[in-house]
Amino acid sequence: MIMKNIFNKITCSVVALTTLVASCSKSELDVPNPNTLTTKEFWKTEDDAQKGLNAVYTMFYKPGVWSRWIYFRLDLTSDEGFSQSPWLELGDWTRFQYVNYNFWEGNVNTYNDVYKAIFRCNQVLDNIDAIPFADPAKKDLVIAQAKYFRAFYYYYAALLWENVALVTHVQKPDDLPQQNTLTEVWAQVEKDLTDAAAILPKSWDNANLGRPTKGAALGYLAKTYMQQHKWNEAKTSLDYFINGEAKGMYSLVPDFKNNFRDNNENNTESVFEIQFSDANIGGPDNDAPNQGMGNNRAQFFAPRGIGWSDGQARYWIVDEFKKEKTKDNKLDPRLEWTVFYKEITADFGDKVYGRNWEWGDKEAWFRKGQRDYYRTTEDYYSQVNNRLLRYADILLLYAEVQNELGQTADAYNYVDQVRARVNLNTLEVAHPEIGTDKAKFKERLKMERALELYGESVRWADLKRWGDLDTQAGVDAVAQRDPDFKNFVVGKHIRLPLPQSEVDNNKNLKQNDHY
Amino acid sequence: MKVIKSFWKGLLCASLSRPMRKAAMLGLIIISSQISIFAQNKIKVTGAVTDSTGRGVENATVSEKGTKTTAVTAANGSFAINVASENSVLVISSVGYSSKEIKVGGLTNLHVQLQQMSSSLQDVVVVGYGSQKKANLTGAVSVVRPEEITKRQVTTVAEGLQGLASGVNVRGGGQPGSEAVIQIRGLKSLSDSKPLYVIDGLITTANRDFNPDDIESLQILKDASAAAIYGSRAANGVIIITTKKGKSGPMHIDASAKMGVQTTPRYSLTKTPQFVSLNDSAYANAGYTPDKWQKHNLSNNTDWQDATFRTGSMQDYNVSFSGGGQGGTYLVSANYFDNKGVVISTGFKRLGLRVNSQGSKGIFSIGENVAITNAQSDEMSGNPYVDVVRMLPTIGVYDPSHPAKGPYGFGNPDSANTFGTNPVAHTNLEDVNNENFRVRGNIWSELKFTPWLKYRLNLGYETSNDHYKYFRKKGDWTLNQPDDPSILNENRARWETSLIENTLNFNKSFGRHAITAVVGQTYQHDHYEQIWGNKRNILYNSSNGTYYPVLDQGNSPTTGGFTQDAVLLSYLGRLEYSYDDRYLLNAVIRRDGTSRLGPDYKWGDFPSVSAAWRISKEKFFNIPWVNDLKVRASYGTLGSSNIGYWDYIPLINTNSTMVLGSGQTVQSGATQVQLANENLKWEKLIQQNYGFDATLFDYRLAVTAEYFISKTQDVLSTMYIPRTTGNDGGFPRVNAVSLQNTGFEFSATYRENKSAVKYWAGVNLTFLKNKILDLGYNRAEIIDGNTKSTVGESLGMWYLYQTDGLFQNQSEIDNYKNKDGKVIQSGAKPGDIRFKDNNGDGQISSDDRKVVASPWPKWEMGLNLGATYKNFEVTMNWFGSFGATVYNGYHSVVDRFDDNSNYRTDVNPWTPTNTNTSFPRIVYASNLNSRGDSDRWLENGSFFRMKYVSIAYTIPSPLLKKIGFSNAQVSLSGQNLITFTKYSGLDPEFVNTNIFQKGFDNFAFPNLKTYSLGIQFGF
Repeated sequence: MIMKNIFNKITCSVVALTTLVASCSKSELDVPNPNTLTTKEFWKTEDDAQKGLNAVYTMFYKPGVWSRWIYFRLDLTSDEGFSQSPWLELGDWTRFQYVNYNFWEGNVNTYNDVYKAIFRCNQVLDNIDAIPFADPAKKDLVIAQAKYFRAFYYYYAALLWENVALVTHVQKPDDLPQQNTLTEVWAQVEKDLTDAAAILPKSWDNANLGRPTKGAALGYLAKTYMQQHKWNEAKTSLDYFINGEAKGMYSLVPDFKNNFRDNNENNTESVFEIQFSDANIGGPDNDAPNQGMGNNRAQFFAPRGIGWSDGQARYWIVDEFKKEKTKDNKLDPRLEWTVFYKEITADFGDKVYGRNWEWGDKEAWFRKGQRDYYRTTEDYYSQVNNRLLRYADILLLYAEVQNELGQTADAYNYVDQVRARVNLNTLEVAHPEIGTDKAKFKERLKMERALELYGESVRWADLKRWGDLDTQAGVDAVAQRDPDFKNFVVGKHIRLPLPQSEVDNNKNLKQNDHY
Repeated sequence: MKVIKSFWKGLLCASLSRPMRKAAMLGLIIISSQISIFAQNKIKVTGAVTDSTGRGVENATVSEKGTKTTAVTAANGSFAINVASENSVLVISSVGYSSKEIKVGGLTNLHVQLQQMSSSLQDVVVVGYGSQKKANLTGAVSVVRPEEITKRQVTTVAEGLQGLASGVNVRGGGQPGSEAVIQIRGLKSLSDSKPLYVIDGLITTANRDFNPDDIESLQILKDASAAAIYGSRAANGVIIITTKKGKSGPMHIDASAKMGVQTTPRYSLTKTPQFVSLNDSAYANAGYTPDKWQKHNLSNNTDWQDATFRTGSMQDYNVSFSGGGQGGTYLVSANYFDNKGVVISTGFKRLGLRVNSQGSKGIFSIGENVAITNAQSDEMSGNPYVDVVRMLPTIGVYDPSHPAKGPYGFGNPDSANTFGTNPVAHTNLEDVNNENFRVRGNIWSELKFTPWLKYRLNLGYETSNDHYKYFRKKGDWTLNQPDDPSILNENRARWETSLIENTLNFNKSFGRHAITAVVGQTYQHDHYEQIWGNKRNILYNSSNGTYYPVLDQGNSPTTGGFTQDAVLLSYLGRLEYSYDDRYLLNAVIRRDGTSRLGPDYKWGDFPSVSAAWRISKEKFFNIPWVNDLKVRASYGTLGSSNIGYWDYIPLINTNSTMVLGSGQTVQSGATQVQLANENLKWEKLIQQNYGFDATLFDYRLAVTAEYFISKTQDVLSTMYIPRTTGNDGGFPRVNAVSLQNTGFEFSATYRENKSAVKYWAGVNLTFLKNKILDLGYNRAEIIDGNTKSTVGESLGMWYLYQTDGLFQNQSEIDNYKNKDGKVIQSGAKPGDIRFKDNNGDGQISSDDRKVVASPWPKWEMGLNLGATYKNFEVTMNWFGSFGATVYNGYHSVVDRFDDNSNYRTDVNPWTPTNTNTSFPRIVYASNLNSRGDSDRWLENGSFFRMKYVSIAYTIPSPLLKKIGFSNAQVSLSGQNLITFTKYSGLDPEFVNTNIFQKGFDNFAFPNLKTYSLGIQFGF
């Protein structure tokens, strides 16, 4: 083989020496890559478009976003959670002590993965026009999904850094995009979600469960409007669920805990759900063969000795739950499934991963998504889907919108639906003092949201939307529940610093104020 | 472009229009000669030319005086010449020897012995596709004597070159099997500073598989004119190595053995009592009440350095036998090298065999050089030099309290909160082994049509079978490790490069005019392929605690594999002209085509020209104490395309997977992950060099000085690109930076050979500056880590917050205001560091960083000293580097106190009662004093170090002859024994391969102290 090879080379070089210098050399230097397709060879068929879109979904499994670190930003930075991680810098980034803005786990990884996801969406959107589809409707569906995800990631970028650069086409290495204002970012999210909602189906068949539906797009669109206090627009979007096309389609699952386990996934309450899997257990999280598709959160948030305990729940939620009993005078059952806490055995006869309580008196850990129901330890490959948007959230958002629009009396109904599932009295019975007082209703609604959605990554958006972090008085009140907010500087910590390397190397980007 | 192409075509056609035929057996081309070198009616004289030791002298010229009749000796020194009569006189000359005249008389079989000349001016220097007399060099070439390299205890050639040649900077080694970083004439390329190695004409690397003992000669081509013959790959300089050949004569056996011990420098770290007291005060200062302090395990007092480091050892055995006769010569050498590392469970072994032989018949000669090596290394897991610092003395090496996590001790949030890695556990639980079986060699043949024209075909081939094995046993080595099962990962790969070179050499004198010319064509193909496999939960035998780490065992299999190919096609030509050895001119052109660059950018032309004037040869020159004086200048272009195989092609990554549907079905995706610049072109280096060489005082003093300006343009680098692109998997390659290096090199050697005590002293100095001309992507600056690179300035300058002493009391804090009266560090406490508010905005923020210092040394020096008296010889090499500001990574960890690590014993923190110190108060969990981006960690990195010292004794020959030996020597030597420096890190001579962070001592593996004993003998 080798001899033959050498002989061929000799022949070639002899030939080259005599006459055919140019032609021989030309073909010799044209060495194709035998390992994979080039971008020019891709984006030709429907299947290519579909695969390109699939790669967007793969972003769910990246540690910067939904398999790990974004929960530190959304859940731990808020007053629901905190960190006592022995990794101090990791903890510092949950208590507004940002020193190194290039801290990978706290900032850059998430920023990087958000833009990776957007890059993948943009590839689909930039290339799909030229791809012939037998059925144009299918093409529209791919486009709609890509737009949905681009909006989805910009939604979270807006929540975290606010003044990010809008990139809506595939970038060249030397592109230095301009910075955009928060308003401009929200406008882009609105546009993409509106486009997506017009195309996406109400539901998918069984084989395609997990793709965004029209409801998912309108749900995020409503959230986007609400962050900007565009209450009328938000109501229009949410009407889809309440008295529009999807009326009666969604419902609360009877058992609250079924929203957080690997059975009953993609159920009637689920509006948008990240599909996790342990199929590639042990696989890497980068774009390498056999990449992992699990969620690491359970490992990072499990109690000390079971997981890393890098994130913990604030205990105030336990007290809050205990303030109101069910109609049959029991504890609110959501408490059991929301946090692990010391009295869980006394209150519910439950244990913590099969263990008796061995931790501090007023300590608590998030339980949603943890797998104690069949395991005694955790690992990096949790298969439990994350119901990022569920119907209970939609109902509470609708109530909030109505209240903001001065329709407080109408808002009760939606809060009561959520309360009814866990056998609580109606709000009117439980809190007769509220009446139609908009402010009081809002205050109570804030707590209703915490009780229902604690640890489900919505709190940071809630605090921002409610304006609780815009004044020192507001921050002081939050700090009552979470002393980390004593470090919070109004006007500064409402957003993260941009990665310093990004600011340093793109003259069009300015670091966020006060950083 | 077109013109050059057709020029080549024409040239090649002209040179090959003679009848040709193939010798099928060897696959070689033999071109039948039409030129007869024998005339009629003459006396045929045969004979042999030998040196004083009786070995044949190759390429000596034998000419009949007063005629044009000449012959050249073969490799064994034999010659045949037809002369006019018995009265003819033969003149025998050879480079490096005094010429000799002999009258033929009645002899038809002559034996001529030539005396070697002492002056190195007569040395022949290999310059690529030919050789030149050192005296006639027009470019910058350094020659290093192989003995200088091999007498040190080194694994690789590069490691042995330090301080031996000006402009050649070498750092590293130490770690078993590690390859030193070598840089010739400063930083030119951003990605890779490795010079090109040419071993016996094969373009390769002198990596750890190459035995330095096989070197016969080594030259370093430093400037563009010298290196241009290697064109596109020569931008970082070229190191040409020829391996030892046999000499004709009876078999000669050489053997040597070296044995050495190695020790690592160590940190001075606290033991448990001092550690506990410092740690408690850091917690107390942070406001923690004693119940929140660490519950130290006082029964432990682990010296992690004792647990991790050991005395290393080295053994290096070489034996060779060589000889030859009329028709050919041979050399066979064998080498065994073994290095037990100073870190536990590390080591490197090399077994090598070399066969070099050559023979000739008539105008045809043929030879081959083949080396077979097997190198095995037990690689280091993680970095123990960090681990021993981050582990606390209060942690035991073993800890039986957590059987599920294995037997080793590591951090614990309550008693010893650190994420430090237990280096003993890491090395025992994670096994990384590399094995490379390599065959490297070439086969060449020459046809000498006439004494002045020869054709050479060189076929080079190198292949290696690489085997990598990673095995992770179950168990933890640090706090909070994922509960991983045992994992086995193995890959097997094959690397192959094949080279075909056709060259035609012309070498003729016309009176005082001498012309040497080379034209040639080369083709090189690189090929690599790898397959890998991975399994989990490898079979374990719990009865005796052993695993079965083979891929048949375990579950969750994954596999993969890939292939890489590249082709380089080149045409080259060199013309050397000299007039009376007085005026010297050298012109080179190389045209290279590579498969690694985009379709429109594959070809590059790399011309150079140089000239020299030997003033001392002029009639008017009459300074008796100047033996030789030459001035020279050169200008040339080199290239580099030392990049990945297909960096210019944007690719689709097909590894994405996702799940969907009620059945959670796995589906695959595909997308572009990494961006690419499709218009990648050659990186070019344009260099000017001016120098002079002088030999003075009866050949005692040799002086060389050079000044050069080199501009690297369109450096192929991986520059930061914004994350907003969504790029991942590494920044794409781009022709980004242009960089200018200006430098001055000076070397002088003084030798006194006439007195009883013979001695020599050599010094070489290098002054080097770099300046950024362009950063690419239209950027004016790049910030990488703690460094900033700005157009017009040097690369990678320290860009940091500036400290300004400590606050001694509260009023100093309250009064530290900007011009608007805003208190700048309101949160500070007495004993904290005062940072400069450089932008005056009343807060310490990212805009306050400033360029504060340069990581580049101002100058570097090598000093080589030696003396002999009777049978004793003492030699010494010193190396010094001066003026660099470096970042002490060790202090930045051990002095931070906000995060637990071990501390140094001589720490002197500020307290209300101990205010006369520059060390701030120590506070756990507050990173303001300990922030890594302040100038607190910068230090003067100058040092001067004795790299090597030896004393050798040559056993007197009368004694040896009795036991049948021809020579024997014993030597005792040491490396890195003495260092003068103010630097407080482990080793001022550290390596950081990130060129933007050259001066960042990030726990680099230090230089080791080595003591060794060597014996060497021949018979």
